[in-house]
Formats: sequence, structure tokens, C-alpha cells
Amino acid sequence: MSTVEAGKVSVKSAHRSEPVWYPYLLIAPAMLTLVVVSLVPFVFAVFISFHEMKFGRLGDFAGFENYVELLSDGRFWNAMGVAVLFVAIAVPLEFMLGLAGALILSRPIWGRSVLIPLLFIPTMMAPIIVGLLWKIMLAGSWGLLSYNVIEPLGLIDGSSVFASPDLALYALIFVDIWQWTPFMMLAYFAGLQALPVNPYRAAAVDGANPVQTFFRLTLPMMAPLLVVIGLLRLIDAFKVFDSVFILTGGGPGTSTEMPSVLAYKMTFEFWNIGEASALAVVVWLLFFVFCNVFYQIAKKKLNAF
Amino acid sequence: METNTGTRVFWTGLVVIAAVFLLFPVIWMMMMMVKPTDIMFARPTEWLFTPTLEHFSYVIEQGFHEYLITSILLGTISTLLVVIVGTPAAYAFARFEMKGRDDLFLFVLASRMAPPVCLVIPYYLIFARIDLLDTFVGLTLAYMTFNLSFFIWVLRSFCRDLPVELEEAAMLEGWSRFQVFRRVILPLLRNGIVATSVLCFIFAWNEFMFSFMLGGKAVKTLPVAIPTLITTQGVRWGEMAVVGVVALTPVLIAVFLLQRHIVRGLTMGAVKG
Amino acid sequence: MNRTGYKMLRKTVGLGLALSAGLVLGPGSNAAMAWSYKEAAKPYAGTTIRILDEITPLQETLATLVPGFTEETGIIVEFELLNHFDVVNKGQADMLSGRGYYDAIMLHGFQLGPMLAAGVLQPLDPMMSNPALMNPNFNAADLIEPSYSTTGGFGGKQYGLANWNYNQVYWARGDLLTHPDEMAAFKAKYNYDLKPAETFEELRDIAEFFTRPAGETLAGKTLESDFYGIVMEGVKGGSTFLSLWGNFIKSFGGDIVDAEGKPTFDRPENIAAIAAWAELWKFAPPGMAEYSLVDVPTVMGNGIAAQAIAWSDFVLGIDKPGTSPFAGQFVYGPMPYKAGMKDKRSVEAEPSVTVISVHSKNAEATFLFLQWLAERRQQEALLNAGGGGVPIRESSWALPVMQEGNLAGLFAAMKSSLEVGEGKPKMPEFYELYDVLTGISQEIGLGQLTPEAGAAKAQAAMLDICETCLLQ
Repeated sequence: MSTVEAGKVSVKSAHRSEPVWYPYLLIAPAMLTLVVVSLVPFVFAVFISFHEMKFGRLGDFAGFENYVELLSDGRFWNAMGVAVLFVAIAVPLEFMLGLAGALILSRPIWGRSVLIPLLFIPTMMAPIIVGLLWKIMLAGSWGLLSYNVIEPLGLIDGSSVFASPDLALYALIFVDIWQWTPFMMLAYFAGLQALPVNPYRAAAVDGANPVQTFFRLTLPMMAPLLVVIGLLRLIDAFKVFDSVFILTGGGPGTSTEMPSVLAYKMTFEFWNIGEASALAVVVWLLFFVFCNVFYQIAKKKLNAF
Repeated sequence: METNTGTRVFWTGLVVIAAVFLLFPVIWMMMMMVKPTDIMFARPTEWLFTPTLEHFSYVIEQGFHEYLITSILLGTISTLLVVIVGTPAAYAFARFEMKGRDDLFLFVLASRMAPPVCLVIPYYLIFARIDLLDTFVGLTLAYMTFNLSFFIWVLRSFCRDLPVELEEAAMLEGWSRFQVFRRVILPLLRNGIVATSVLCFIFAWNEFMFSFMLGGKAVKTLPVAIPTLITTQGVRWGEMAVVGVVALTPVLIAVFLLQRHIVRGLTMGAVKG
Repeated sequence: MNRTGYKMLRKTVGLGLALSAGLVLGPGSNAAMAWSYKEAAKPYAGTTIRILDEITPLQETLATLVPGFTEETGIIVEFELLNHFDVVNKGQADMLSGRGYYDAIMLHGFQLGPMLAAGVLQPLDPMMSNPALMNPNFNAADLIEPSYSTTGGFGGKQYGLANWNYNQVYWARGDLLTHPDEMAAFKAKYNYDLKPAETFEELRDIAEFFTRPAGETLAGKTLESDFYGIVMEGVKGGSTFLSLWGNFIKSFGGDIVDAEGKPTFDRPENIAAIAAWAELWKFAPPGMAEYSLVDVPTVMGNGIAAQAIAWSDFVLGIDKPGTSPFAGQFVYGPMPYKAGMKDKRSVEAEPSVTVISVHSKNAEATFLFLQWLAERRQQEALLNAGGGGVPIRESSWALPVMQEGNLAGLFAAMKSSLEVGEGKPKMPEFYELYDVLTGISQEIGLGQLTPEAGAAKAQAAMLDICETCLLQ
């Protein structure tokens, strides 16, 4: 605990002599890169979103027409609802399982150097392979688990997981958890390994039990990483595409149509680039507001930034 | 820390059991690599069979090894660039009070917020204009959009724990800022840099949408080549399994080799003592 | 236009070509005899053209023929094969963005509407009427109709030469349909003989008959797992709605638009067709709403269903030894029709054409290549190379390879499908319509909507997208 606070207090004193430009110099290459590779295309997308753009041809200035069209489309709101549900279930579970896994991995374990890469395999796999692999597992009738487990036990009556409007989304959430929990676990494990040891020694001297140590030491010291990884995962989970596209195509009906799947259709099928860009801007704005609020809260309450 | 064998057996057993459940689909995929096509999904499931190598030959015929090399090069180079450009930035964001720091920091994250599916056409149009489509440079640039922000944000949370005292001491010794960064900060950050760049490499390794639209015949990565195994005559399941496992291998090796930097146990803390 | 109409059109086109060639070259010229790809390609030798096509084992065989063209003409061909979705996305992006990397791109019939609306396709007519480029012996009249004219033709112009005539067929387990126990039981229950279904009514009965839970007997053996009467595509996307539209709705005398292009989804013929289609879901594996073109052959190949409606080229990947334990036991037939309405028979086909992008700077060289591929010589070589194929020429049906061997039945079924298989009407909003209509079809198939309610919803959804849905 003391180290963290000491670091915070001494920030100014340590670099009182620093010229003002020094930190800016350090961030300049990254900022320039982001402006070129990220801001320019995004500004272009914003520009497109205010124009008609069907079939790849930039048409007339359209004002907010694309936005009105998008926001009055029930499918857009359906997609946002699906994504919120997806994220609200998947990310907290990945967070908790990941953290639990990281803590368990920090226990004394034989062969940890082999087990860590193995446990990390789901995250290493291309999402497209993950989609196909779970199709092999859970496809109705011919899927390995469908045939050997689900159907003999009669777990699902008259349907299969990806074909059921009630279950398909949860099945996709399950696949997401399978793929990304190891990611959280490895990141948190690395974070745990980087924690300073002195506070733990002090806690041991004070006779703190493991639960107290976890809540008073580990959790606060891990807060920055926990928050950052959780936030990044949340953003990514909202945009999930490959596995949905392969496993359900957004169906049955529109029950699994995530925003990225809808955006894909707007882009590559309907070639309505104007509306797809409007969708990009709306999603971006939502996240921008969300991240701002989240950042301020995390900074004040959790001392995470 | 002294540990009795019982505790060790318990935790190891727990992790191994979890790993078997977690990896069951992957183990199955490994079996599919050598499983003859006609019994691939036979009912009842055939767990034991005479292995075949038929799936490997098609994969090699189709030049998948070339896509593998492209993927390795692209993943490595784009990740290295991200590390070079991103490390000073992450350090600066963590260490210094500067005007507009929060805004700039959020700007970094903002580049990751919009769905890539929506941005790929703007990219395509720009790249088509400046002749960057189907080039290594083009894809490297595109990969930096999602990885640079990720790298800076994650590494910064590792930077938070750096002891300022060491920097101060080095400065008092008369070291230049560059020397302090190189000899004090970088070694302390190695753990975080390795962990974060492994994650970045994996993002680059598995990326599909940008690689597919902005790449092409000249620069084709492994994930983009995989869908060619899904034909209207069905999926070449065995071949897919081969590619899936082969695509795993380099990352698996990299994580295995690099993990000693991540798993430094408690020695990391000792530096601060 | 009816079939006689096509034949007349074909003759007229052929005559026109012959006449124009004759007029330009003058009487007595034997240039027609002397026409060769080598001569025609002289101005373009050394040019590189880039072609994008879809990857299937058929096209992989085709790719092996391509070097022959370079040898003959000196035109270098970069022949790129991508997966179905990728070839659609990338091909369209290339044309629509104006990048023009590819000279020619394979398009499925349904893509023609949007792409013609976007104005990115070159009509081939100037080149087809140019005697320097058009082989007088090409014999366009030999190209299979009505698919050739209905797919690549629009507004009196031709936008593509035939590439592949993808089409659907009826696919069943012959060993089950001829099993004595099953035949007797079927006869007892339905009062007619068990044989491959000819009508939708028979298709339904056979599907019902063979749908059995684990533990019951099938062809003398006790079933270890559930068995189903039929399998079709049911996924969002894929060809779920194409199959419902092309095979069922049109065979019942309905359609989704009228002659002017106004949506007519809620007409009674459509509702009857959808009801017949939705009933089949009861006899299909429970996962059908997730079944894509990947699953249907997998289900058939692994002996999970008795019948299927499937793309005929799927079958080629399954019905060969070493791929499926049931290879050799499959039978094929013409797509069933509505009893008493054989004259309305319609089969879903997705004839594809290779089009030349307006951005192509090598249109002539590209045209020569496309023409060369569609030549009888190349088509025969392709089909003879084995692994089967989908003919684009009438004359190909006579090849020994199409009539012998275990796939003869399949080719006969294909031929029957292609007698009526048309290209899609040119709809600029095809994708929007297709997406919405597939979702609603799934809801009907899953029993969430009645056919009536679904048809009303679909009609409203169509009107929301287009008042007039055909390209004008």
C-alpha cells in the first residue's frame, strides 16, 4: 500500500526539474501514428456519414438523414439491445473467471510453464477457427457434443443451441467466455506477478488472513490493470463479429444480430456506406461518453489511472 | 515460501482438470487433423481410428505455409513497431502530469471504439487512392490502429507501479533522460512489455477484417486463407483442423518462451526493496 | 418470357453474330475458318489480366486449365480463388470503389441487380459483335438456357458469359427408398409405392415416414440416434430463402413481386407454398435454423436424414468413396413440383457469370479469356478432368463422363433443374430484401409465425424497402 501512495505523492517532486515538453515528446510518436492511422479514416467515416453513399459512390450532402434512418430503424435498436445483453453477461463472467484463474495460477503448481501456454490456447485461436470448432461441437444432430451429450440427455427439446431463438445468444456468450477468459487470466496473472512483495511481507507480519490480504492489498494494487483490461474487453465484446457470423449469421430471426453483424450487412451486402458510417459514429459516441464517465469514476474511486 | 506437497497436488490437479475441460474442443481438433474424412462425424462417434496424413498435403499444396510466413512477419513487425512507439507514450502517461493528459489518454482509447467493420471501407477507399492496398506497409499501419491503443493503455497500468525513487537516484547520478529510460525504466517494465506485446501479437495474428479487405494476393494472412477451406461442397474439416493447429503453434511457442519474463515470481518486487 | 422465347432469342443472337461477321469480312473471306485465339490475342499478348472467382473443387480444376490459355495467346492470367462470401465482398468492393484491380469478377445471379444498378458492369455486346474478338464458332446457342440469358442479360444487353450453372436437386438415400421392409410399410401407410419424391406431397410423406426417434428400426437396424426425413438450409443468410422462393413459391404459381416489380408476398399461392415448406421443418433435424450450406452435405454424408434439397455441386463433395460412408447409395432426382402443377415447375438455380468491370483497362483481353473458358473444348476438358462439374453447354450433357458412373443420376437431375432454372430478377435492393425475408422465413419455419402472419409481415417489410423492386 505504502509504495503505491509513495509513488503518487512523489510524482511531482521527482520531475520538478523536467521541462514541460519532455512528456509530450515521449507521446508524440504514438499520437502522430494514431492521427494518421486512426483519426484520418475515422474523420473520413464521419464525413461519409453526412452524405449519401450507396454502392460506393459518394453522393450529395445529406445532413442527418443517415442518422435519422439508422435511429428510426428497429433493427439498430435490436442490435444494440443484443450487444448490451451480450456484454453484460459475458464480460463480468470473463472478469471473475479470469481473476480467479490468475489467483489459482499464482499458487504453487507443478509444470506451470507448460500449463500457462496451454490454458491460453483459446485466446490464441483465430475467431474464425473458434466459430467453426464450436460448430463442430454444438451443431444440431451432427455436432459432437449435441450428439453425445445434449441429445441423449434431452437437454434441449426439439432444437439445437444455435438454432433456438431463446438459446442462440447464450451459446454465443458461452463461446465468447471460452475464448476470452484465458486472455483475462493471462493479463491478470502477469499483473499479479508484477506486484511488489513488501506489502505482503508487512501483511504477513501483521497476521492478515488471505481474504484480508486479497481485499486490502491485491485488489487495490491490481485495480489499474483490472479496470483497463476489463474496459478493453468490454469494448471488444461489444464489437464481436466472426463467431456470430459463422455460427448463426445473426439469426434465428434477428435474435443474435450484434451491431457488427448489422454493420457488416449494411457495408458488404446493402452497400449503404452512409448508414454504416453513421452506425460507426453512433457506437463510437456511446463508447466515448461511457469511457469518459467510466474513466472519471475509476480515477477518483479506484485510483486506477 | 515453503509449501507442502499436499497443497501443490491440490492446485496442480485443479488446474489440470480445468485445462482438460477447457481444451477438449482443441484436443478434438487435433484428432481431426489425422482423421479420415468419411468417419469425421460418424455416428456413433469413432474415438479410435487409423490416422491419415491426407489433410496435410492439400494444405501445403495450397501454399498455406506462405500465408503462415506472411502472418508471422506481419504480426512480429507490427507488434515491434507498437512496442517502440507505444512504450515511451505509456510511460509518459503514467509518470508525468501534463496538461490535457486525460483527454489525450482517452483519445488513444477512442481509436479502438468504433466497430472495425464500419471503418474498413473508409480505409479501403483511402488505401486505394494512395496505392497501399495489398501492401505490407498498408496492413502494418492498419494493425497499429487497434494495437497501439491497446498497448498504451495496458502497459500504462504496469508503469503505475514503478518506483520513482530509482529514477530520482539515477538522475542525481547525472544520467541523461534517455539513459534513465533505457537503463532503469525499460528493465523494470520488461515484464509488462512482454505480456502486453504477446497480447498485441495475438490480436494481429488473428485479425481478419482488415487483412481480408486491405490485403490481397500479395499479402495474405493465415486467417484470411482459412475461409477458402469452406467451399460450397462443404468444409474441408480435416484441412481446417490442420491449419487451426498449425496457426496455434507459433503463438504457443512464443508464449512458452516468453513466459519466464511474465512469471518472474516475486523477484520483481525485490527490485523495489 | 417462355422457353420458346429464349430459343428464338438465341437463334436471333446467333444469326446476328454470324451476319455481322459475314458483313465485315465480306463474301468469300474464309477468315471465319481462320479465326484463332492466337491471332485474336496478338494485340494483347503480354497483357496481364486478373480474374476473381469462387473457390470450389470445380474452380480448382478450372484453374489447372488456365495456363493453356496463356500458352495459346500470350495473355497472362492471374486467376484468384476466394471463398463465397469473400469473393462477393471483395469483388463488389473492387468494382464499387473504382479501384479496378480485377478485370473480371465472378458474380452470382442475384448480384447482377445491385451491380447493374450501380453501373459498374461493361456490356459485352461491342466485343461479341466484333469479329476480331468473337470466335465465329463459339456457338452461343449451345449455352444452356434459360440460365444464360436470364442471368447475364438485361435490357437487351449481355453482361456476362456463363461461368457456372449452380442449381439445386433432390437428393435422397437410395438404400432406404429401396429397402423391402420400408417399401412395404410405406405402401401400407400411404397407399402408394415408395420411390424418390416427384411431388412436394410425396416429399412430405417420405419425410414424415422416415422421421424416427432413436430406438426405432430403420431399414432393419435399430437406430442409435434420432433420424430425420429431410434436411434443407435454414440459416440466416446462406440460401435458405432462395430455396423457398425458387423451389416452392414459384412452383406453387406464386412469386414475391409482380411483373412491374411491386411486392406481392401475401398472395395465397405464396402462403400455400410457405406452409408446405414450413411443414417440412417438423421432419428435419432440430438444428435446421442454423444449417448453412456447410451443414446440409454434412448431415446427408453422415446418414442423419433420408432426403435433402441441396445444391447439386455439394453432392460432388460428398458422394465419393472416402468422404462419406454412404457414398454410392445416394439417388438424385428432379426437384419435386406441386401435384397437378407440373407445368409451373420451378427449380432454384444460381447461374453465375463472369463480368467485366467498367474499370478494367483490358476488356478485350479479358473477353477473350472468358470466351475461351466457355468454349466447348475447355468445358469438355473441365468435365472430363473428373470430380464432376456443372455444365454450361447443352452439348456437355452428351459427354460420356456425364452418363456413366455413379453420378449419372445426379447429372440427369441437374439437367432437369437447368431446363427451368433461371437467373434472379434484377433487383437493386436484393440484399436488403433477402436479409429480411430470410429472417421472417426462419420465424415461420420455427413456428413462431403462422404462414399467413409471416407473409403479411414479409409484404410490409418488402414495401418498406422498395415500392418497385425490379431494376427499371
